[in-house]
Amino acid sequence: MTENLTKEYGKKEVLKKVNLKISKGEFYALMGPNGSGKTTLASILASVKSPTEGKIEIFGKKPEAAKKITGYVPQENFSSPLLTGKENLMYFAELLGYSKKEAGEIVKGLLKKVGLWEDASKRVSHYSGGMRKRLEVATILFPGLKLLILDEPTTGLDPSARRKFLGLVQELRNEETTILLITHIGADADLASIVGLIDRGIIIAEEQPEKLKRNSGLENVVNIETSIKSNKVASLLTNFSEKMKVLETETGYRVFTEDVEKATPKIVRSLNEIGCKVIRIESVKPSLEDVFFKLTERKVTEAD
Amino acid sequence: MGQITSTWNKTIKEFLRQKTVLFWTIGWPIIWVLIGSFSFTGDAPPEIVAYTRGAISISMMVFGLMTAGMANLPGNIAQDRERGLLTKVMSMPVSPWRDFTGRILALLAFSVLSAMLVIAVGFACGARFFFTGIDFVASLAFILLIFVASAGIGMLIGTFVKHVHGAIMSGVGLTVVSAALSGVMTPYAYLPSVLQNFARIYPISSANSAITFLLVGEEYAGYNPLSLGQTVATAIIALLLFIIGLIAYSRFCWKKE
Repeated sequence: MTENLTKEYGKKEVLKKVNLKISKGEFYALMGPNGSGKTTLASILASVKSPTEGKIEIFGKKPEAAKKITGYVPQENFSSPLLTGKENLMYFAELLGYSKKEAGEIVKGLLKKVGLWEDASKRVSHYSGGMRKRLEVATILFPGLKLLILDEPTTGLDPSARRKFLGLVQELRNEETTILLITHIGADADLASIVGLIDRGIIIAEEQPEKLKRNSGLENVVNIETSIKSNKVASLLTNFSEKMKVLETETGYRVFTEDVEKATPKIVRSLNEIGCKVIRIESVKPSLEDVFFKLTERKVTEAD
Repeated sequence: MGQITSTWNKTIKEFLRQKTVLFWTIGWPIIWVLIGSFSFTGDAPPEIVAYTRGAISISMMVFGLMTAGMANLPGNIAQDRERGLLTKVMSMPVSPWRDFTGRILALLAFSVLSAMLVIAVGFACGARFFFTGIDFVASLAFILLIFVASAGIGMLIGTFVKHVHGAIMSGVGLTVVSAALSGVMTPYAYLPSVLQNFARIYPISSANSAITFLLVGEEYAGYNPLSLGQTVATAIIALLLFIIGLIAYSRFCWKKE
């Protein structure tokens, strides 16, 4: 729980009186663009950074005192590439105070849990990105850790590794473990029981993902995959979008319109007229990225 | 103890598994022992050749110790910071002092290994030393001072030079330049008087000369570095460097922003 949490770097206010309440056993996803303050918030909860103002309590304790029950996976790949998977986990187990014998048994179980037991003796430099991330998540699965903070764990993973990794995160859910997932990917945040949208240091919305989408008022989203992306294409598509908003995606654009059936053939025709081929066009359910875009008029992948 | 031994274990394995670390700390000094032993001793009488090889081996051992402390240690610290390991460890109930102790003990073990291998190669190449038991113990104390001073400088580099390559290159550069300027790699007698003064103040070269004086003789050290004033100054400056490095490391590397 945080109360009026503020963090300033010089004159820049990164977090502005953030009030965050996560219940025991909840899976909370904090979603926002780079520079929105989400990593700063995670680092403060993990006791790596200090707040400028405000109050924090983790299961009734201050973050420093809660270190024994808080597991934090920073954004970077922190495992040592020169050590094997097992050696890396042994290092963390012994840092947590386990004897060599106890650590050996726990580490074996953890490696099996994250599916790396067969690769336990390989150096981490030979691991794929997904394997390395799973190993790093294993560092917060030691017994007794109640709050797990994962900062952008799927960044840089290919789709298959990402799905596998998210499957692992789902398996961590239980009544005793509280998870805080920091992400800018809507599909990742969708797994959570509660999603908080953070922008410029302020939590602008907080709700169950489905409710968040429903309450956003977004009903019809047209996802268009185009042969080219340009300002001309984007500007043309604004004519079909509600309040002139068009969200650029990796493969094309998303248009928010009231009547998909009417708009679709018109969109295809207009794009063809300016020499832009439509590879795929479909009506889709709004995503959390769409909700964020609707609320802020900014892409969640956009850096501040 | 668990936190110290786990950090020790991790750090020593990282030192031993990194080819560049092995090369600069063990390989490079050994190469120079080999080159020095067979190239620079010319037609001198065999006894002088053997002691010259002894002096070269000591200098290269000191060079290895300098590289370990001034380049490998900051490289290791910067690496842990750059890849987020320090952040991860800071989020755990780990004391900075235990982390520091584990690192320093690993560095000490690695430095001892480097020193033993360089001296062993020197012996194999015909290096000879003459000393009494007391001289030997005194030499070990001076080796420890070299280690302490190098580790202190290394902690300062590792704390303030943020990037891994920057930290390693700064360390290697400082090692090479300071070794050349202070008479670790060049005979003291050939240094200009300004650098001779520096060689007496710089704790590493002063301790290097002391070891050479004790194990090989004054003519190879170039002067008598064992005056009370110089010995005390060497110890104090070496310890000061270590303490300053330690304070910088614990204050800035473990600083909560």
